[in-house]
Amino acid sequence: MAEIGKIMIKVPGAIKKGDVIPVKAMVVHPMETGQRKDSKTQNLIPEHYINDVKVYYGSDMVTSMEWGIAVSTNPFITFYLKADKAAPLKMVFKDNKGASFEQTVQVNPQ
Amino acid sequence: MRENIKLSRRGFIKATGAACTAVLMAGALPGFLKPVMAAEEQIDIKDALKKLFGDKKIETGHVDLDVPIIAENGAVVPVTVTSDLPMAAGDYVKNIYVFSEGNLNPFVAKVGLTSANGKAEIATRIKMRKTSNVRAVVETSKGNLYQNMKEVKVTVGGCGG
Repeated sequence: MAEIGKIMIKVPGAIKKGDVIPVKAMVVHPMETGQRKDSKTQNLIPEHYINDVKVYYGSDMVTSMEWGIAVSTNPFITFYLKADKAAPLKMVFKDNKGASFEQTVQVNPQ
Repeated sequence: MRENIKLSRRGFIKATGAACTAVLMAGALPGFLKPVMAAEEQIDIKDALKKLFGDKKIETGHVDLDVPIIAENGAVVPVTVTSDLPMAAGDYVKNIYVFSEGNLNPFVAKVGLTSANGKAEIATRIKMRKTSNVRAVVETSKGNLYQNMKEVKVTVGGCGG
């Protein structure tokens, strides 16, 4: 899990102003449920999951998410965005242990 | 005195029998119902919805839910929720909730949208403990609730193990 918190965000290459575009994001994270046992020690592995996601387009927060333990390991999310301005799109992921991971891509509609 | 001993012996056997059965059941259950832990309790979907939405009526319609009929791996079940409701400045889909009813805690995710999203659609991958309904609830900025649900057959559960 050396890569924990690594984020990949994909937006379409050629965008026209006003297009509603899909934003696909994946973040590397174990998303431990707290219900899984360590195979050696038989102890429960503590919960460790992303519970808060925020998406900023320029200075506006456009999407915010609350996740429980049941979002799959290495979470993957698709949502849409109305590309009406050239601005950075920033995603911030926070987990229940207080770690925060973020990534920014540029949205440049023509 | 003799009678008392007899009785207590009988009582003892009865009690031991019951205890053995209980132990056997407790021992056998985790095998079938892995990963249910004795201490954890299943939250009923009705209670989960009530906690979030109170007694508000949840209508059907306006929510399209795309899930597989059979999920071989319960740890990675693709879910897409789409709503045809407007995404205008004063009238938009404010929240999309995803539930997996068979999970100990049915709540999976809440996605808060704004009119800047332009389209009320999300896709993600979720964990399902066992065969159950996946339910999507859509909440509009005006406070209306809509839902849809579909059963997903899960071959191998994906929460514990």
